[in-house]
Amino acid sequence: MALLETHDLTRRFPGVVALRAVNFTARAGEVHAVCGANGAGKSTLMNVLSGTIAPSSGSVLVNGEKVNFITPAEARSAGIAIVYQEFSSIPELTVADNIYLGQEFRKGFGVVDHKRASSEAHTLMERFRIDLDPDAVVGTLGVADRQLLELARALSNDAQVLILDEPTGVLSLSEQRNLFEVIRTLRDRGMLILYISHRLEEIFEIADTVSIMRDGELVATREKGSLDRKELVRLMTGHEVSDTEAIVDPLASGKTVLTIDGITSDDSRILIAEGEILGLAGLVGAGRTSIARRLAGLRPRTGLTVQLKGKPLPSDIAGVLKAGLVYLTEDRKQDGIFGPLSIPMNATAAALDHFSSAGFLARRRERSQAATLLEQLRLVASSLDMPITSLSGGNQQKVLFARALLAQPKVLICDEPTRGVDVAAREDIYRLLRDLSKRGVAIIMISSELDELIAMCHRIAIVRQGVVHSVVANEDLDEHKLVLAATGSDAA
Amino acid sequence: MGGGAAMSAGTFAKRPLLSRHLLDKAAVWIVLFILLIAAGFVSEAFLKLNYLGNLVRQAAPIGITAVGVTFVMILRGVDLSVGAIVSMSAVICALVMDGKAENLWLAIGVTCATGSLIGLANGLLIAYGRVSSFILTLGMSIVVYGLVQMGTGGTARGIVSPGFREFLNDRIGNVVPTLAICFVIAVVVGIFVQSQTRFGRNVYLVGANPEAARLAGIPAIQTTVIAYCFSGLFAGLGGIALLARTGVSGTNPGAGMEFDVLAAVILGGTTFAGGRGGVGSTFAGVLVLFIALNLANVAGLPFAAQLTIKGIIIIAASAAHAWIGRSGGDRTE
Repeated sequence: MALLETHDLTRRFPGVVALRAVNFTARAGEVHAVCGANGAGKSTLMNVLSGTIAPSSGSVLVNGEKVNFITPAEARSAGIAIVYQEFSSIPELTVADNIYLGQEFRKGFGVVDHKRASSEAHTLMERFRIDLDPDAVVGTLGVADRQLLELARALSNDAQVLILDEPTGVLSLSEQRNLFEVIRTLRDRGMLILYISHRLEEIFEIADTVSIMRDGELVATREKGSLDRKELVRLMTGHEVSDTEAIVDPLASGKTVLTIDGITSDDSRILIAEGEILGLAGLVGAGRTSIARRLAGLRPRTGLTVQLKGKPLPSDIAGVLKAGLVYLTEDRKQDGIFGPLSIPMNATAAALDHFSSAGFLARRRERSQAATLLEQLRLVASSLDMPITSLSGGNQQKVLFARALLAQPKVLICDEPTRGVDVAAREDIYRLLRDLSKRGVAIIMISSELDELIAMCHRIAIVRQGVVHSVVANEDLDEHKLVLAATGSDAA
Repeated sequence: MGGGAAMSAGTFAKRPLLSRHLLDKAAVWIVLFILLIAAGFVSEAFLKLNYLGNLVRQAAPIGITAVGVTFVMILRGVDLSVGAIVSMSAVICALVMDGKAENLWLAIGVTCATGSLIGLANGLLIAYGRVSSFILTLGMSIVVYGLVQMGTGGTARGIVSPGFREFLNDRIGNVVPTLAICFVIAVVVGIFVQSQTRFGRNVYLVGANPEAARLAGIPAIQTTVIAYCFSGLFAGLGGIALLARTGVSGTNPGAGMEFDVLAAVILGGTTFAGGRGGVGSTFAGVLVLFIALNLANVAGLPFAAQLTIKGIIIIAASAAHAWIGRSGGDRTE
């Protein structure tokens, strides 16, 4: 019998049907991946299952019994727990105290029993083989450990169903492996794990069953064995997607755009040519973003000398932008989008010099140019006047790309440009980057997804501890070698 | 681009008439409309042009000041010194006028300059000192009150120029009060600056996300300083309007006005969240505040009760906008 079922589950939002009569079934003891493009409805489905959102019609069944969750707490007591992409732990408290937050053990007189919490947490970690110290203060932990904490927290309620929403977004390869181990342990204990992801590699690695959603509908549910990569992408997007196109060689042009001194381990100089895509590979925390931000003038450029087309690059952000180097952030929410502002206002923010004279804005021109560019980028939006937060992650990223493009870059640094972006938008972004490269824009691309770097870049620089250790031409690389280089295992 | 053109019909599809986003912008206007109708039921006089003109006239000092404060609040800041600046401006303006007609323009110039200067001090200290705008402007307000007391020696001084009150309290065409028009002009200027200038755009960008603004090369310090300057300037103008209405400067005519201004701005939807709202909404917020207080007055509520109502308006309005903002637009995926 199915552990979790939905019957004709429908959820409408004003103007959008987020879920259309979804009949979803999942068994105990399986890792069930739910994938789909952004806006396909997978998060809405999970939010309904976890009691965060009420369905407009239809029903949810747990163990064959109809349930009606009104709050997340009710769902939790019925054994359904959700781990979100964003962490909600309190950094000042220990792991154990965070796990039992809101359900503290009491000693009487309302005094919290920290010892008991710690020992309970120890037992919990052992039972699920989670490698995490219950007495560590959360603020001192890295993202991967924080994620494990969120997981432990969900497990502390004896969950039967665990929902993981894009859990590997910020993890390095080894951390991801660790997480997968935990997930497998949980599955073997008979839990149902609903795994939301858009990373195809992961889905094929961890899932037993895959459900694909598109436009609010459940398109298919397949056993992993009967599904290949191409088929999955086709189901998610509704059309065939060309995966990796051949790269035209830009190094042939030979014109140097960017010269960087002082970031390599052997003091060699790094030259980046017109139209070149240079990848920065390395583990999370290797210092790739730090290099990018120093180049962009967002951090002091200590020890780094940079020249753009032979001229020293200014050290302030406005000067860097004007010189033609544009940095596209890895953290859309933190320093990317202007949440409450409209889409065109978001798109033109870095290019207001082009859309104003003597301090006055040319609003009509601003809007029409932004709209034209966004249409070329295939932006999907209900209206340009809506706040950018009304867009899906992939479309927000397209707006940020538009912002970078309107600034007319000679060098574009994009930091994790496809993070939290669905498959279709991802292909659009790849196409755009290749297009820019053909037009002579030099691109520095930071990514944790090695296959993406290999597919996109002409050369790849491997960063470790804030320093570039080697720069390798794409032909000489495969994923395995890159992993070794990034972790430092090639040094021996 | 051919492909793009083919897509366009589908990409920007129709959407519901009143989304949460629109609701956020329209909320204060809806409230204003309802209040006007309610007021009409209480007394027909409410809906007469004469009365409405008078209402806008009454609201002018607070309204003009609120235009400047709106910019500061879009920037996630607050300006609690405007009450003191209004007091100071009324006093300085009357002192410089000294009862002589030829001093009129000089007085207005000096008043605007001192208002802007205090705003400039606020702005520089906040932008470079990275002090909380709450604490800093509160402190500045005490400093300015102190200076006014020192300057006047605790008694009302200064006499307005002849013709000054008469002109500003006149009614154009015997219907629309001049002061009401001044208020409307201030609003129009505010709307123009907010929507048509680089500075106005920078205010929204920095207010919406200071970090993202930094990445986009927006000069945050310059924007902050100008915004507080603007706030000081408009408070100066608000002080002149107040002087015109009352005719005597008193020693502290703007006492507590910062809270009325704050109430009006928040009512309009320019909340502390930053990057939201605008001068147009503030205009509606000012009117809502005044109609509500007038209704309370007509209903015979004592001053103390009116104060309570004011407080409740601030709390309710910020809660309502927070609620609309939270559930509005943001998608789950």
